[in-house]
Amino acid sequence: MNQYKPAGLMKKQRRAAAVASIFTVLLIVLFLVSLNTGVIRIDPVTVIKTIFGSGEPRDELLLFEFRLPRITIAVLIGMGLAVSGAVLQGIVKNPLADPGIIGINAGAGLAVMLFVSYFSTELGNSVFIMPILAFIGAGAAAVVIYAFSYKKDEGVSPIRLILVGVAVAAGISALMIVLTLKLDPRTYDFVATWLAGSIWGSNWNFVLALLPWLVVLIPFVYMKSRVLDVLNLGDHTAVSLGMNLEKERRILLAAAVGLAAASVSVSGGIGFVGLIAPHMTRRLVGNKHKYVIPICALIGAVLVLTADTLGRVILQPAEIPTGVVVAIIGAPYFLYLLAKLND
Amino acid sequence: MLNALEINNIAVGYHNRSVINDLSVTIPKNKITTIIGPNGCGKSTLIKTVSRILKAEKGTILLDGKAINTLDTREIAKQMAILPQTAESPGGLTVFELVSYGRFPYRKALGSLSKEDYNYINWAIEVTGLADFSDREISDMSGGQRQRVWIAMSLAQGTETLVLDEPTTYLDLAHQLDILLLLKKLNIEEHRTIIMVLHDLNHASRFSDYMIAMKDGNLITKGSPEEVMTHNNLRTLFNIEADIQECPYSGHPIFTSYHLSSQDKNYE
Repeated sequence: MNQYKPAGLMKKQRRAAAVASIFTVLLIVLFLVSLNTGVIRIDPVTVIKTIFGSGEPRDELLLFEFRLPRITIAVLIGMGLAVSGAVLQGIVKNPLADPGIIGINAGAGLAVMLFVSYFSTELGNSVFIMPILAFIGAGAAAVVIYAFSYKKDEGVSPIRLILVGVAVAAGISALMIVLTLKLDPRTYDFVATWLAGSIWGSNWNFVLALLPWLVVLIPFVYMKSRVLDVLNLGDHTAVSLGMNLEKERRILLAAAVGLAAASVSVSGGIGFVGLIAPHMTRRLVGNKHKYVIPICALIGAVLVLTADTLGRVILQPAEIPTGVVVAIIGAPYFLYLLAKLND
Repeated sequence: MLNALEINNIAVGYHNRSVINDLSVTIPKNKITTIIGPNGCGKSTLIKTVSRILKAEKGTILLDGKAINTLDTREIAKQMAILPQTAESPGGLTVFELVSYGRFPYRKALGSLSKEDYNYINWAIEVTGLADFSDREISDMSGGQRQRVWIAMSLAQGTETLVLDEPTTYLDLAHQLDILLLLKKLNIEEHRTIIMVLHDLNHASRFSDYMIAMKDGNLITKGSPEEVMTHNNLRTLFNIEADIQECPYSGHPIFTSYHLSSQDKNYE
């Protein structure tokens, strides 16, 4: 018997490699476009010159201290939210699961908001505390959602999880609005911008605060890709194949919460990325998480960077928050998905 | 006679409603054993408990002499494969890919399939007659073919024991027989222990070496098809009066038609 891969597998592998290359190239192009986009335009030649260290101090400041960190953050949160969504969808076996829709982002948001209202927006080192606080808030929301959608002997019913999640998200958002009424104008402005999902933290400290979460969690989730594949076959099959179902589910949920929380603590309320990116990925490369995880990270990065760049261009000199741009694309996509699921 | 499974005094229930109170039964090795009984008799509950989807509140289940709640779940998966009643078919998977998941209990988190993995997968695909469909998307296949793919996945697990919960439900007559003949072949050629739940009593009798009859969570009777498929047993189990004959193919008892025991007037 031959031990070579059947043609079908090779085909899928080549396809995944092709899709990955296309989105990598797209990301690089977007990166360059984004660098010279904004109120002050810098032409591509100057961008390249400046990157290689022979530019004007003004351009250097603009690129290295403002645009580059912001672009890096956009890429990172795109990856974080997309992978978080892919993992959540894998756990609940429902393509509508997204950290924004089911209230995990809201939990993170509430924690961040309580922090900035009771302490200050003069952040300094607290930049590094924010992802941790966001994780606690998101984790608490996830525990509540999980507890309410879990039934003994049936596990987590996907539809119940979505409904509970939407309710939790709405509840937390309402609570946040009530809380904003008590804020001083300065903090209020901050919170309002944050809620709209403007990538507000645009300096290297935020990159440093976010990076460790992704560097640890994305490879970890990647290592679990076969577990996600088997989860996809249904709970009973997964148990039959020797999987410790509840343990794996909790570990993966914690990883998804961590990825979403860290991203949201820096980006604010950006929804739909965790919904769109994995869905596009699955359509392009199928359901194998070995391919889904890295490619949806790429697509997520492309998505958020595109939204962020567009947000800076459309209403110049005003900026549309990234989260709003993503929502303009994401909301119809969500409805489209819902309509398709009903077929 | 060696036992594949030994079930001792188990009690199982859902949501505080007890389904099985105190059940003890042994299932012989290298035989085909079928569990029969009316709806709600606890046969699926028994299968789910054996497959560790439900936990027994008391009692023990011994797999090859060892209690399953003390064994590592992966180790169990190397000895016993289970095909649940409602196996979901995820989109975007080829036959080969799905069957390859049967090797899950043997594989590390990363790394590709070993030579041994390939041998098992290819053998499972071969023996289930799917060799020409290896690259086919499962979503493009018929119900009967899909059931074969799932059985192939369970076979790739390389276990001595195969547990199937109503493997023929939702299939048409020809495909039902096709699956049962495949299981019979595996039992005879590969000496696999097959444990299954079947709704069709004639199929159960025709293909089994051993039958277990349950009602209301209790064991009513067990033994060879001749011992279990009697007029009286079927009346006790299903409240039916069945006309028992001999199956021309297996020689086991089957019935051609039946009426309800409680039926006082017959309008036919």
